[in-house]
Amino acid sequence: MKKDTLKWFIILHVIILIFSVNSICSKKAAMYDFLSPKWIMFYAIVIFVLGFYAIAWQQVLKHLPLITTYANKAVTTIWGLIWGYLIFHEEVTVYKVVGALVVILGVYLVVSGDEEVNGKSSKNNQEVNENA
Amino acid sequence: MLKYALIMLTGTFIASVSQIVLKKAAEKEYPSKIAEYLNPMVMGAYIVFFGASLCSVLGYKKVPLSLGPILEATGYIWVAILGRIFLGEKIGAKKATGLLVIILGIVIASFGPNIVDAIR
Repeated sequence: MKKDTLKWFIILHVIILIFSVNSICSKKAAMYDFLSPKWIMFYAIVIFVLGFYAIAWQQVLKHLPLITTYANKAVTTIWGLIWGYLIFHEEVTVYKVVGALVVILGVYLVVSGDEEVNGKSSKNNQEVNENA
Repeated sequence: MLKYALIMLTGTFIASVSQIVLKKAAEKEYPSKIAEYLNPMVMGAYIVFFGASLCSVLGYKKVPLSLGPILEATGYIWVAILGRIFLGEKIGAKKATGLLVIILGIVIASFGPNIVDAIR
């Protein structure tokens, strides 16, 4: 893995972690009445996080293949389990853990399946980008 | 809870549509950094994306946070289908298997105890 790719890979995971905060605030907002001050406050954070994500994601897409970004985004399922347990004291059942792991496996298959079909063209694009 | 889960799933579909539009927009060349964001396609996609976030907040009224991101994994299925239709992206056997595995994971997480009870 090239140093630049590693750098963007780490940035990607920081962005995914920040994005997972969005779910916490969505859940928090949902606990209050629609358009009540606290609902507005938490939804404002949701919008702020989405705004940050929008800008950051567009930049990450330029440095990493779409399939890499999407495959790694699947870890939000694990963050959901962690935040649900820690913040909302939700029951994390074995079904949820197995389901999340199966989803991640499925995402890996989807992404690697994409690589096999589009691998050659992706590689060529990467070479063009590196030369540019 | 089913009603709220369906609201969340609708939001995921809407978000997937905006992802396809963003991918289309990312493929274009723009004269400046600002133009990369301030153009009708990208701005429109993000307005729709924010609309999808409202569905998410509505859904979380009853959907647990530990299940939300798993339900949102349906986005991969929508992106694959929409990508096939609008971007001409192929769905090979491995990718199709992966999509089915994602559905299986969502079913296990959502209905796992019911399935086990039904089998018993």
